[in-house]
Amino acid sequence: MKRLPTFRYICSLLLISLSCFPLRAEETQPKEKARVLSGVAVSADIVGFAMKAVGAKFANMEVAARINFLDKYFPVFEIGIGDSHREGAETGNTFSATSPYMRFGMDYNFNKKHNGNRLFGIFRYGFSSFNYDIGNNAFADPVYGTTIPLSLSGQKATGQWLEFGAGVETKLWKFIRLGWSVRYKFRVAMSCPDEGEPYFIPGFGKNDSRGWGGTVNLVFDIGKATKKVKEEKKEK
Amino acid sequence: MRQGLLFVLTGLLLAACESYDCTLYNHVGMYAAFDREGAAMQITDTLTITSGKAGPTLLNKSVHTASLNLPLSYWQDEDTLVLSIKGSDYFVQDTIWVAKTNQVHYESPDCPTTLFHTIGEVRTTHQFIKSITVIRSSVNYETTTNLQIHLLPASD
Repeated sequence: MKRLPTFRYICSLLLISLSCFPLRAEETQPKEKARVLSGVAVSADIVGFAMKAVGAKFANMEVAARINFLDKYFPVFEIGIGDSHREGAETGNTFSATSPYMRFGMDYNFNKKHNGNRLFGIFRYGFSSFNYDIGNNAFADPVYGTTIPLSLSGQKATGQWLEFGAGVETKLWKFIRLGWSVRYKFRVAMSCPDEGEPYFIPGFGKNDSRGWGGTVNLVFDIGKATKKVKEEKKEK
Repeated sequence: MRQGLLFVLTGLLLAACESYDCTLYNHVGMYAAFDREGAAMQITDTLTITSGKAGPTLLNKSVHTASLNLPLSYWQDEDTLVLSIKGSDYFVQDTIWVAKTNQVHYESPDCPTTLFHTIGEVRTTHQFIKSITVIRSSVNYETTTNLQIHLLPASD
């Protein structure tokens, strides 16, 4: 039986179309892939400066620098000045400290899409070696009646702590970004004189075994997080 | 933008919240107990304790006194305690000198500052007190006995 020309034509079309599939794959749109070194950024915490401006009990004013690897890993270094000047309303006790602190650690971006938004898991180690002054100008012995000004200046202390938290960050305009973070802090070590613990640890906040903190960061991010790459050729 | 402002305000509010964790029992006193020949006892007659001859009265006309809780001076290196016992037909007086060092104890701007002490040498006269033993030298928030005051036998 003689094959029909139409059948031959259909078979030829199928063969041609099958042989064309790999070629079509090569021509697909390029995919965005994170660069290994995706950028560097510097930032400042707005909350600390705002707290200082409104006369809060203490303020941690800090700036930070970080590197972006693969738009996923962000090693961070933060440095700042902690400031606290307090006088107890009922006691007349004073506390004063202005000292530097530093933190370093890592942010991990959980957002797999490279769309400019980032959802961070945060880990930090913080350290501060600082001096503080405590005093009371009218320190009275309630039984013996003597009043002697109490002044203990230049008390030396150190504090170390860990921070775990979460943060979000979004692109505002070109290289300017805004980020928020909430952090839970654990004090892991502290040394201070016997006369009294510091009321405030620079970078940590009010002296306690643990505490909460937060930042609102204005970020200047330089770099391009992604590059366009073609998909790999498929095996025939 | 509005959300950002709200976040900043919330953060500031959280920072403004603060609790005072002051020590609840913040009395610092030197505790003493009496004994006679090893047996705990109390002074049944009226006992008055003053700081020196003209200092403040630390204990006023106490009866049936088995133990003492006395404030120490904040800054003196040695406190002088004059113990006077007045009975129906007698009056005796002894003086105790308590040498000490003073350590400031500061908790926070919002909590009262006080002084802790470390007792050194303790001397006494011997009208009715035989001797004094320092059991615990640290005077702080603890309420256990610092001094054991041994009284002379009744026949003396």
